[in-house]
Amino acid sequence: MSDTPNYMLKKLLLHSRNNSRLWAALVALCVGTTLLLLTVLIWWNFRELLYGKNQNDSLGSTFMIIGKKVTDQNMGVKNATVFTDADITEVKHAPQVQDVGVISSNQFPVYAMMGGNLAFATDLPLESVPDNFIDKLPKEWVWHPGDRELPIIVSAQFLDIYNYVFAPSQGLPQLSETSVKAIALNLKVGGPERYETVTARVVGFSDRIGSVLAPQSFIDYGNKKYGKPGVASTTSQLILKTGDPSDTKFTDYIQLHSYSTNSQNLRWSKMRAIVEVVTTATGVLALLLMGISTMVFILFIELTIARAQASLTLLMQIGYSPARLSKFMSSRFLPLVMGTLLASMLIAMVVQYVASVQAKAQQLTLPELPGWPVWAALVLSTLILVVLISRSVSGAIRR
Amino acid sequence: MRLSLQGVIPRPLREKVDTYTSGIWKSNVSLNRGDYVFVQAPSGTGKTTLVHILYGLRQDYDGQVQWDNTTLQKASEEELAQLRTNGVSVIFQDMRLFPELTAWENIDIKRQLTNTVTEQQATEWMQRLGIADKKNSPGATLSYGEQQRVAIIRALLQPFAWLLMDEPFSHLDHANIEKAITLIGEVVRQNNAGMLLADLDANTYFPYTKMILL
Repeated sequence: MSDTPNYMLKKLLLHSRNNSRLWAALVALCVGTTLLLLTVLIWWNFRELLYGKNQNDSLGSTFMIIGKKVTDQNMGVKNATVFTDADITEVKHAPQVQDVGVISSNQFPVYAMMGGNLAFATDLPLESVPDNFIDKLPKEWVWHPGDRELPIIVSAQFLDIYNYVFAPSQGLPQLSETSVKAIALNLKVGGPERYETVTARVVGFSDRIGSVLAPQSFIDYGNKKYGKPGVASTTSQLILKTGDPSDTKFTDYIQLHSYSTNSQNLRWSKMRAIVEVVTTATGVLALLLMGISTMVFILFIELTIARAQASLTLLMQIGYSPARLSKFMSSRFLPLVMGTLLASMLIAMVVQYVASVQAKAQQLTLPELPGWPVWAALVLSTLILVVLISRSVSGAIRR
Repeated sequence: MRLSLQGVIPRPLREKVDTYTSGIWKSNVSLNRGDYVFVQAPSGTGKTTLVHILYGLRQDYDGQVQWDNTTLQKASEEELAQLRTNGVSVIFQDMRLFPELTAWENIDIKRQLTNTVTEQQATEWMQRLGIADKKNSPGATLSYGEQQRVAIIRALLQPFAWLLMDEPFSHLDHANIEKAITLIGEVVRQNNAGMLLADLDANTYFPYTKMILL
């Protein structure tokens, strides 16, 4: 026979609830929160694509190689694409540049040979960068004079050319990265009279270089021992360690000086500028929408409480404490808000999953679940809403 | 629980109070738990004002009202709620029921606040006062007499040290007054409580230990 006190409180305090207004406020809140979460999600995914740990490159994502563009005007001019000391100093002070390394190339003949089914022989250009410019330094990355094994990092494009162009046309098997790492390459270093042979093994791939990287110690050794006397070594490429290579200030600098680079980051930078504008605009819109919908929701709560003022006064007169009544009112409204936020998060999760599937189709890796900033945005907006609503409820009841 | 009033003057009655000697206004009064106090209050002397001041509903007065160590002017809403659920109960002259709740819900909403009286006992009290058949009628449809009996039962559903009554039987006939007096007397004794009844004319409803002229 006895009803719960909450049933009676509901009858007294919430009978005049106007549901259409409530739903409108909740839908607006849901749209606002979803937009906010999606903004964070897009921003985060873009970051993941740019700087994520999933990059398969032995040079890190913040390293890049630049050279001077060869143009019709400078193609015949001697040393036109050589970096002078002044150039190097200037690059050191460019935006986002943290360190500059000189790429040395071999001034001595290197001839690569391979036996068996894959028999071929070619001149091989070798380059080296200081070790601290290699982000994920392979553990085999050491060479001392006299060592028979030489670790090398090759351009990822070599493998692509082999797999997609060369191997099919020659009826040769395609090779995975792991199988390439197992292949030994014989290098004949030096001239016809004086030479030595080493066995080179691929220990990593990079799409930042156009050639083959060998340890600095090997290049120094070869240049000293087999280099042509009198030929001074010149610097035609630099490796840069950058804070954020997709920063537009940096990319503008690179373009202004007509430097060439094959870094993906540079290609991303234009897109990043667009994404930044879009996410900022969406973020502002989302915050605005959330602000307005929260205000509408709070006004709705205050209106509900104002309409029930007579009952509230009498309830307090018979001994119901304002704290208890606030708790009751909050317990009616907060689950609605929580449910709305949860719905927004579910939408964000679905979007992230779809994005990860789509990214996979494009050979990109994105996590299947939203990253922590999205969860943080959810937690933060939940906290703010809970505090605002609880405060407005207890404020309206004590008024 | 001790009730003390020190020089209390309701601001709206200030001019009138200055013209006569009141047993409460401007006086220092101290009442102890267990006292049965009758306040005789001719029209316009502030009978309802007094009950509302003692129950903490009004603040528009000078002087000080204390329930034990709680000074009403300084009490927070939470402290007042505590006082109204455990210390002091009231029967309002204007009943103050929720019109949208049934007679039973009006009783039950108070009963469940403190849970000191069982559902069965509350039902029995309704029977004793002759309103059991109105259990499911909305407060708005009850007659004044029925509303008054619901208000009486509601006031008895909590533990209290003092029961304040403002013309509690104004809408009841003699037979119903007798039944109400018996019930109130029983419950006040069970609680070892005091009572303060304010009415227009002298009466012998309860064995008063103090009579005060307002």
